[in-house]
Amino acid sequence: MTDRRYAEAAFEDVMSTVEFRVAERPHITVDTDVCRSCTTKACVHACPADLFVPTSEGGILFNYEQCFECGTCYQVCDGEGAISWSYPDGGYGVVFKRG
Amino acid sequence: MTYAGPGSLSTVVDETTKTFDVIVVGAGPAGSAAALEVARAGHSVALVERGPFPGAKNVYGGVVYGRILDELVPRWWEHMPVQRWVTRRSTMVMTPTQALTVDFRTQDWGKPPYNGATAHRADLDSWLAEQAVEAGAVLVPSTVVTSLLRDRTGAVVGVRTDRPDGDLTAGVVIACDGVNSFLAKEAGMYKTGHEAEHLTLGVKQTLALPRQTIEDRFAISGRDGVDIEMLGCTGGIPGGGFLYTNLDSVSIGVVLALTGVSKAKTRPEDLIAELKRHPAIAPLIKGGEQIEYSAHLIPEGGYHAMPELIGDGMLVAGDAAAMCLAAGIWLEGVNFAIGAGMYAGRAAAAAVKSGDVSKTGLAGYRTMLERSFVLTDHRKLRDFPGLVLSDRMQQRYPGLVCDLVQGMFQVDNPLPKPGLRKLLRRATRDNGVRLRDLLRDGWTGMRGLR
Amino acid sequence: MLIVAALRWSDQRAAVDPLTGEVRTDARTSGASAADRAALEHALRIAEAFDGRCLAMTVGPVEAEEMLREALSVGAHEVVRVEGPAATVTEDGSETARLLLDGLPDRPDVIVCGDHSADRGTGATPAFLAQRLGACQALGLIELEAVDGGLRAVRRLDGGRRERLVFGAPAVCSVEPAGTTLRRAPLPATIAARTARIPVAHAGSLRYLRAGTAKAFRPRPRALPAPVGSEPHQRMLALTGALIERTPPALLRPATVEEAARELLDYLRRHGYTP
Repeated sequence: MTDRRYAEAAFEDVMSTVEFRVAERPHITVDTDVCRSCTTKACVHACPADLFVPTSEGGILFNYEQCFECGTCYQVCDGEGAISWSYPDGGYGVVFKRG
Repeated sequence: MTYAGPGSLSTVVDETTKTFDVIVVGAGPAGSAAALEVARAGHSVALVERGPFPGAKNVYGGVVYGRILDELVPRWWEHMPVQRWVTRRSTMVMTPTQALTVDFRTQDWGKPPYNGATAHRADLDSWLAEQAVEAGAVLVPSTVVTSLLRDRTGAVVGVRTDRPDGDLTAGVVIACDGVNSFLAKEAGMYKTGHEAEHLTLGVKQTLALPRQTIEDRFAISGRDGVDIEMLGCTGGIPGGGFLYTNLDSVSIGVVLALTGVSKAKTRPEDLIAELKRHPAIAPLIKGGEQIEYSAHLIPEGGYHAMPELIGDGMLVAGDAAAMCLAAGIWLEGVNFAIGAGMYAGRAAAAAVKSGDVSKTGLAGYRTMLERSFVLTDHRKLRDFPGLVLSDRMQQRYPGLVCDLVQGMFQVDNPLPKPGLRKLLRRATRDNGVRLRDLLRDGWTGMRGLR
Repeated sequence: MLIVAALRWSDQRAAVDPLTGEVRTDARTSGASAADRAALEHALRIAEAFDGRCLAMTVGPVEAEEMLREALSVGAHEVVRVEGPAATVTEDGSETARLLLDGLPDRPDVIVCGDHSADRGTGATPAFLAQRLGACQALGLIELEAVDGGLRAVRRLDGGRRERLVFGAPAVCSVEPAGTTLRRAPLPATIAARTARIPVAHAGSLRYLRAGTAKAFRPRPRALPAPVGSEPHQRMLALTGALIERTPPALLRPATVEEAARELLDYLRRHGYTP
């Protein structure tokens, strides 16, 4: 039997099926100073696009380019003001062709 | 420059000339229905959309119930971009190795006036927006409404967009800006700060399969389709799963309570992968090629989580007003959005005509909602969302039901068949359910159905 | 002065069926490429500098009008859509150039295009435009600006080199999407453009280019003589060339350049390449 890990397509391949029109302005910014004192780091597991990665210094490394714009990250964030989130500029961001 | 986000702040402007009679923010089902009604009433209306085309940012979980369109588009079923008409509806209760399916099929739903349909939101929302544009609405795509404009009394008189020279003034602003509803929050229409408790995260994969394969595997033909709702497939996180058929693809996904997601150390795509491996699901989707992955928040709080719907110069409709109905076996949203948008459009048009766009002038909106299914259904089923997402329903009952049925149909000869009472006692004990709680939840469920 | 932005309407994210090779396009994701958007921005800037008119045009179907509406909203003075097919037409660019010029109301002074279109374009259309107009051409530019009544441009060459060009109208330029982003359209202009009338020119139809059928490449056969030798072992050795006498490679370290050149020439003479 094939190894279970290979039964699913790689996450990067799954993400590549979605169109993202990347804006110059990052619509997510993370204040990693706040993250350092965060014990849950809920964004790391909750973000469906896997945009948040914990760093060895206890901070958060984030991307904004492949964002579904769902809002999960700022809703689950415990740290006051750690994630500033807004809609990307008009016409940019995710484009679902099926939805 | 401010951006459209949780912290957006209104700008006070001195009353100037109105650019439009009504501004609708968001060209989803609610927004397009609102703009359509305003335009049909002969008023000028702008339909502002942040995506490059209507539907570009939108995701849904399976079925659009179109009957509300009877009031908007005559013979809508001949024009609406439908993938399949749902004639088979399954509810599946599962544990990792068991599944109990209640499967219903009726051919009545495969002919006019139809019942539910699967569709691609990019097609559906674009079509609905097209109806509004044909009626005279001005669609302004690729434009984000960043905040509200208010006069000195606090009444909403317009919106600010992210375009240069981007202020728009109007008599009424209808906020159909979706689940994050920054405009309703900015206007102070949401009371509590416990938003995350009322939100679920929907994550969905679309898998391409040949049309014939779908028809063979799901036992359907022509444009008939299947919608399967699942309970007990989310690894202990409160939520559920779904699988539905498009014309030449199937969509599978999970819906997860946001509070549960943030506690669990499981990623959403791993839960979908787990669901796709389930013995009851794997054969249905085998060989499907990934063609899209999507995620969206769903306002599942129901009636209790709804904001104020009317403000001075402002109405809220659709997901922005938490109008998704997620009451166990009923999962609806697009129809509520269309209905609410339609009534908001009518109320706004009436208010503009009468010249009174204050809260009292717009009060007709609430009356229309209460008389229709929009608020009636929500009020009737107001205790369901809590019940469905409760720990017992999520973690205990699927196992209980599956064990009970397995006990009934398992033949342990030479042992005689156990009695139902004994089975029930064993299943409740094994799954850690107290009979008292079972009865109480049953009562809540029954009361909701009255 | 008339400054024309000639834009190509194509799907920027076409899906290709991996099995059949069928290309599926979608009007919703179709529009101007990044290069074409840069071309429009350059055309607007040149028109501003020369105090001229900026006209945006395309050859395409009615769906392409969305792209022209955007051009109007960012400040193009006028737009023209030349009626054309929705699907990509196999041609070398000369046909598109012919239709573009036939669809223009006046003789243009400057035409700016994207370097090549996303749907497998060759980038030849601007060159055909220049040829038909008798204008000078500056293609594949990474910088373009109006200076002192003329145009100044920078073009990328091989090996990291740059070519600086100074030229005047009439000219045809094609630009790469480098360092230039299209300006954001103001809201009033966006709203006005939504309902603006898009003039349509019927300049004829695109003629398909008949291409020959593609054949697989077959190299000519090269005859190799069979090795001589009575024993199979010897023939095998002959094939490998193991025991054949040969000149071993020599490693030379000439001290000067002249010496190195002399060594090279000697080698060539020894082997009969030079007399």
